[in-house]
Amino acid sequence: MIHSHVQSNGLCVIRPEGDRLTALGANAFRQEASALIDAGSNRVVIDLSAVRFVDSSGLGAIVGLLKKVGNRGEVVVCGLGDAVRQMFRVTRMERVFQIYPDADAAVAALDA
Amino acid sequence: MPLDQEPARQRHLSDKVVIADDDATQRIFASTVVSRIGFTPVLARDGLEALEMIERSGASILVCDLDMPGIDGHEVTRRIRATDLGRYIHVVMLTAAGQAEQRRLALEAGVDDFMTKPLDAAMLTVRIRAAARLVDHEQALSAKHRALQLAKRRIEHDLNVAAEAQRRLLPSRTRDIRGCRFGTAFQPSAYVSGDMFGYYQLPGDKLGFYAVDVAGHGVHAALLSVAIGHLVTAQYFADKVGSDPGAADPAAMVQDLNDRFFHEDGTEYFTMFCGVLDQHSGRLFFCQAGYPSPILARGDGTTELVGDGGFPVGLLATADYHNGVIDLGAGETLILCSDGAIEAEAPDGTAFGEDRLRGLVAEHARKDVEALPGAVVAALAAWRGGRPLEDDLTVLALERSFSA
Repeated sequence: MIHSHVQSNGLCVIRPEGDRLTALGANAFRQEASALIDAGSNRVVIDLSAVRFVDSSGLGAIVGLLKKVGNRGEVVVCGLGDAVRQMFRVTRMERVFQIYPDADAAVAALDA
Repeated sequence: MPLDQEPARQRHLSDKVVIADDDATQRIFASTVVSRIGFTPVLARDGLEALEMIERSGASILVCDLDMPGIDGHEVTRRIRATDLGRYIHVVMLTAAGQAEQRRLALEAGVDDFMTKPLDAAMLTVRIRAAARLVDHEQALSAKHRALQLAKRRIEHDLNVAAEAQRRLLPSRTRDIRGCRFGTAFQPSAYVSGDMFGYYQLPGDKLGFYAVDVAGHGVHAALLSVAIGHLVTAQYFADKVGSDPGAADPAAMVQDLNDRFFHEDGTEYFTMFCGVLDQHSGRLFFCQAGYPSPILARGDGTTELVGDGGFPVGLLATADYHNGVIDLGAGETLILCSDGAIEAEAPDGTAFGEDRLRGLVAEHARKDVEALPGAVVAALAAWRGGRPLEDDLTVLALERSFSA
């Protein structure tokens, strides 16, 4: 289950359901977000401000979306809490994803 | 559907009905009714005979008179309920009119249904059919339950065999490799693990070790972890890290693994930490690929985190890997823990975390290295409040001996 805000210009903000993105929900998250990309969203903001814990399966799902969008667009993340930021640091994902403080900043950057 | 057009049921045990009555006329009457609707009557003249007939005929329905010489209907029912016959016996009790108190006692004894004497053929017919439906249903459920139990036992057996095969891949009794001592813990969250580790003597007085943690857990992750365990042998390790006597290149090995395991449409990946220790100089070259930073317990009692991160393996085609180097002094210990340790949550949701793990390691580092992983496992079990870990756990502790 995800909450998404789709804009007409291919920009979409996705918030995973709940405060954990783990093996339990990562697959559903990936599938639902993939459907949005298939429907034409190619600039995706993953808003993790409500997520306090991402495990390796959750990270796999986020990277899966990046691979799916590929050269056709962009996937960025925002709202990283301490534990999630630490996870991004140890796996060097901070070099793979643009990271923004919050959804507004991410949308402004993608829209610029 | 009218009752007399009920399709022929596939009857097993419920086709026999034991009729227990000390009155021959009643017995014969009930027997005629039961035969007419396609059941086989089995006759008993008293309570003891009824019990014997139930056991011998395999019947699941008993029509029983309450008042019989010897043991009465209550006692017959109590004994049936107290015996494990492997099937449920549906008991229909015959009472005289106005035996309300007797009926209460009969229900307590375990009777299912009542009929008032004198017996009415139509009423007995519907009662027997109702009983047969319940018995059939119960037997169908029992058969399904037995099939599920059997399937569960087979799956568990398979998983236990697989878990044993996986454990055999781990370094077995070797606790000492020329100047280094090891302590390990390997705890799958369920049967098999997505973790794997190994250590070996390499040519040129070097020692190689690695630990991997496949994303996710369970059978799916274990298939990959076992594949890695088979691939990363001492030979493979030595080939990939190179033979430069001054510097090993574990990053080259990780790069090779990334090339092998990255698939454009794949979703599997793993994190890894691997290192090569020069046993003479104590120089330790390592590559960290998304695996949590190991803890280095220094000789002065302090701890340090090793490495500042690195790409996981098999996740990105473009990932590049780098070597780091530290010095491992005599008596110093390096402890690798899979993320199952720092991510373990207490009942209130608080993660065990890096600081607590470092504290624990500092407390135990100067003791026996073989006991250290056990101390981590025990601390996590206490932290979890007895609930099993949700993720696989690996602890690999490596101590450079004074005598190296």
